[in-house]
Amino acid sequence: MELKSTTPLKISSLVKKYGSFTAVNNVDFEMKPGEVFGLLGPNGAGKTSIISCIVTLQEPTQGQCQIFGYDPQKEPLNSKMLTGYVPQEIINHGYFSVEEILIFHSGYFRVWYNKERIHYLLHRLGLFEHRHKKVKALSGGMKRRLLIAKALVHDPKLLLLDEPTAGVDIELRASLWDFVRELQKDGMSVLLTTHYLEEAEELCQRVGVINAGKLLKVGPTRELIETMTKRKVILKFKGECNPQLNSEFLLHKNENEAHFLIPQELGIGELLLSIACDISRLMDIRITEGSLEEAFVRILDNSRKEASL
Amino acid sequence: MTISPYAKPFLTLYYREIQRFLKVVVQTILAPIVSSSLYLLIFGVSLGDKITLSDGTSYLAFLIPGLVMMSVLNNAYQNSSSSIISGKFGGDLEDWRIVPLSAKGILWALSLGGLTRGLIVGAITLAVGEIFFYIVQGQVMLPAHPGLLLLFLIIGGLSFSMFGISIAFWAKTFDHASGVGSFVIVPLIYLGGVFFSLEGLHPFWQGISKVNPLLYFINGVRYATLGTSDVSPASAFIVSMFSMVIFYFVALRVLKKAQYTRW
Repeated sequence: MELKSTTPLKISSLVKKYGSFTAVNNVDFEMKPGEVFGLLGPNGAGKTSIISCIVTLQEPTQGQCQIFGYDPQKEPLNSKMLTGYVPQEIINHGYFSVEEILIFHSGYFRVWYNKERIHYLLHRLGLFEHRHKKVKALSGGMKRRLLIAKALVHDPKLLLLDEPTAGVDIELRASLWDFVRELQKDGMSVLLTTHYLEEAEELCQRVGVINAGKLLKVGPTRELIETMTKRKVILKFKGECNPQLNSEFLLHKNENEAHFLIPQELGIGELLLSIACDISRLMDIRITEGSLEEAFVRILDNSRKEASL
Repeated sequence: MTISPYAKPFLTLYYREIQRFLKVVVQTILAPIVSSSLYLLIFGVSLGDKITLSDGTSYLAFLIPGLVMMSVLNNAYQNSSSSIISGKFGGDLEDWRIVPLSAKGILWALSLGGLTRGLIVGAITLAVGEIFFYIVQGQVMLPAHPGLLLLFLIIGGLSFSMFGISIAFWAKTFDHASGVGSFVIVPLIYLGGVFFSLEGLHPFWQGISKVNPLLYFINGVRYATLGTSDVSPASAFIVSMFSMVIFYFVALRVLKKAQYTRW
């Protein structure tokens, strides 16, 4: 299918209200081709409402979504052909087996005789031996993998993953991460919403942080961590710590260790100079980088403080 | 033959609908046949001997076309409405919204699915009726106007499938959907002349009955089968077609405006 734009997803001034409640408040962001973009936020932040507007389960109150240039509200058949959607909640499909569901789903996307792709996905997601089972006979993890297989039967260019690893065990989660990386390598763009910030840090090149319907920050994951977090530096000395040692960055010190929290822009050398460190007594330096979780908490804290002013 | 890619989603959903009712064939096909057979046995054969119609038609012959249409209408309604209601529970309905299926595609796929089930049950009901008729009368009852019979059955089946779609999307609970079945459809069908002729009613009740659109659906089938009916075939056709058009536009509007989220 011809693309109107190379931008996988563009959200412009999106507002979604349910009665008087504003779930999504004037959100703007766009994805880059071939990236994994994480939309992060606490429960009820508006992540699923945004995805629901993208896939036409909800109609935006204001604003617009565009998938490769197609507006899902105006050209739904084109935008849907380009999109795969993994919902947050399990779908039961009482009457049909795993393979039948995938055959029907292929047909909905205009693909008949899709056995090769279906069997590839069943193998890749560990469902092949369960293909004749009905959904109710599958475990929670298998049901979630079936949702992923359904979203991929037509080889979409944009994959929307709404909390794909909720309730999934660690091993399966790791294999799904590998699969997402593989899809990205094949050129697919992925929008991921998740509660697991470790997952977003691992997979997403860029993230957006949303709270109470407002998009608070968007940026490259690494950059966000660097600007929003501090590094922890632990200096270990031969013998006792200098009792005179002091610094605005000092967290605490014990017998032979001093713990510092330093901004990303401050070099280790500058820190050592600022505390007049006797390098000959320095045994070890341990540096812990900030995490996305810390950045996330900081962004939310800042927004709450701003709101209370 | 090459199938347009745009037709594939619609054809897939239609195929799925057929597969769905075939998965529960005892409930969807066999159970309605048992109830139709009991009606034929009790009303047609047992009590039918004591009832004579003014034009000399046997009561069993009078009953068969009405029961056939009743089977088509009931099963068409139940098929489309139960598909949507179970989809609301399981979440399948979300699938229809996120895939490239238009509202018209969903409407026609569900309507044809309901019609298919209705026609299967209707055809078997007719076959069972023919067996009873042969046992009682010693001959087979050949439809007077077979083409017209099929036409009225198709109009009725499509109309009630579309009605089922509207009701199922409107319903917020199972009670809503079954309430419409019990308190609207069943009375309309039973008072629509399946079991009685208008000529036996007081003129006041004749007037009331003529407001019931199902009278025209049922008498259309009766005319096509027996060559006689309580209303003229032209008025039966016009009212049935008009009803179908109304059901179509209501269902289409409902599908365009409906929430596809689960209960």
